[in-house]
Amino acid sequence: MTRRIGYLLLPAILPIAVLLGYGIWSIPAQNFYFPPLPEIIGFFRDIWLFDRIGSDLVPSLARMLSAYAISIGLGVPIGLALGFSRLLRTACEPVVEFLRALPAPALIPFALLIFGAGNGSKLFVIVLGAIWPILLNSLDGARGVDRTQLDMARSYQVPRLARLRHIVLPAASPRIFAGMRTSLAIALILMVVSEMVASSHGLGYFVLQAQRSFAIPEMWTGIILLGILGFLLNAIFLRIENRVLFWHRAVTRKRPTKARSEATDA
Amino acid sequence: MLDVSQLRKVYGPDPNAPPAVADLSFTVAEQEFVCILGSSGCGKSTMLRCLSGLDSPTAGEVRLRDRRVTKPPEEMAFVFQDYSRSLLPWMKVRRNVSFPLRYKGVGNRAADDATEEALDAVGLAGKGDLYPWQLSGGMQQRVAIARALAYKPRVLLMDEPFASVDAQTRTGLEDLLLDVWQRYEITVLFVTHDIDEAIYLADRVLVLRAPAQIRHSTTVPLARPRDQLTTKQQPEFGQLRAELFNALDAQPAPA
Repeated sequence: MTRRIGYLLLPAILPIAVLLGYGIWSIPAQNFYFPPLPEIIGFFRDIWLFDRIGSDLVPSLARMLSAYAISIGLGVPIGLALGFSRLLRTACEPVVEFLRALPAPALIPFALLIFGAGNGSKLFVIVLGAIWPILLNSLDGARGVDRTQLDMARSYQVPRLARLRHIVLPAASPRIFAGMRTSLAIALILMVVSEMVASSHGLGYFVLQAQRSFAIPEMWTGIILLGILGFLLNAIFLRIENRVLFWHRAVTRKRPTKARSEATDA
Repeated sequence: MLDVSQLRKVYGPDPNAPPAVADLSFTVAEQEFVCILGSSGCGKSTMLRCLSGLDSPTAGEVRLRDRRVTKPPEEMAFVFQDYSRSLLPWMKVRRNVSFPLRYKGVGNRAADDATEEALDAVGLAGKGDLYPWQLSGGMQQRVAIARALAYKPRVLLMDEPFASVDAQTRTGLEDLLLDVWQRYEITVLFVTHDIDEAIYLADRVLVLRAPAQIRHSTTVPLARPRDQLTTKQQPEFGQLRAELFNALDAQPAPA
């Protein structure tokens, strides 16, 4: 019992120690770039509870989450289709390989030209960076579907679209989720980067603006808020993943690599 | 009802490459239980894939009730060797069984009834809400059999279905299969490499040699219903075992 409580508390020890250490060091240090902890906390409360939530946090989150949704909505079907059909895959591979190698921020100037300084250019840049892990993992997931499962469905005359929906999609979902998790972090990064150029609000804009006006504690509050945001988004994601992929956990725990080694007759 | 004539299957683009199935011909009668016996690598699985319409033969043809098989026919169900790979782990047992029915054009009601009936027939009534991975290996293969039965096929093709379960479970599954074979009045083509299993189950045993060709054919005169103890103690059982053992063991024909 005490052991369990210990394990629950264990992850909290290091963050508390770091905060305490920083607090003890920063108050007497009076460093311009590393302001005292109470000052940062004070600014954080003033700015983010809840003054600029509506003007900066909500627009940033809305951009990021809608771009993330677009990345999933495009990446999963395209990836599955490419994985399912060898013809499509062969035809599209060079283009995919080229586009995924492009660093998305390099297209910010282009996006500004085409979409202007509003949300469009930011969505474009985030999607362009976040879509690849989802698309490529969906592709690999679809290719890795067990042939027996597909043969089974084919022998029962299950139509092609239903095989894609009820076999390929769930079978690939562990890989899809791995890709979505990577993309979540990329989407957060690109949200900040895209807001640092030609923006009038948003978290990235706020951090850069604070730094430019030498408002160092304010700048730190923005950075800390981004950290908390990333942490929370990841935690929520993991909860959803656990719910959706419960069967995958059960199967992989029960059966390490047994099924694969069983020889099948020619 | 099932006619296989001059079936030949060569993998790859070269038609002169060594075939996996060569000039295979046999017929299976309505409601007959036929076992195909062959050592591993003799082309049994390739043959089954051609019979089931999953693969198309290079030459020859398969006819099911006088219709040529070119794609998986509706009157046929296939039970794979590896239940852990043919069942879908993200679906509950009930959904696994009813999944193919939703595309067969039977109504929801009829599909549900057929599902429950099949689960009941294989002794899994009440397990419908579990996931396959919550069941033992033998029970999982029974789910696969239930899925095949619920599909109401006329022919059941089985590819070494009991090869990955332990001996105890296996005899139970054999008796279960004989029971549902009679209850559902279906034709069964059962591939195995186990001589005793073939004799115990079949009306007729065909021995295959590589590349898949009939080497030997024998009818099993043992009375039904069969029993794991008394049937296997009959002198005919021993004679058949020796006969089939020799047929399997004979040197393969030069290629």
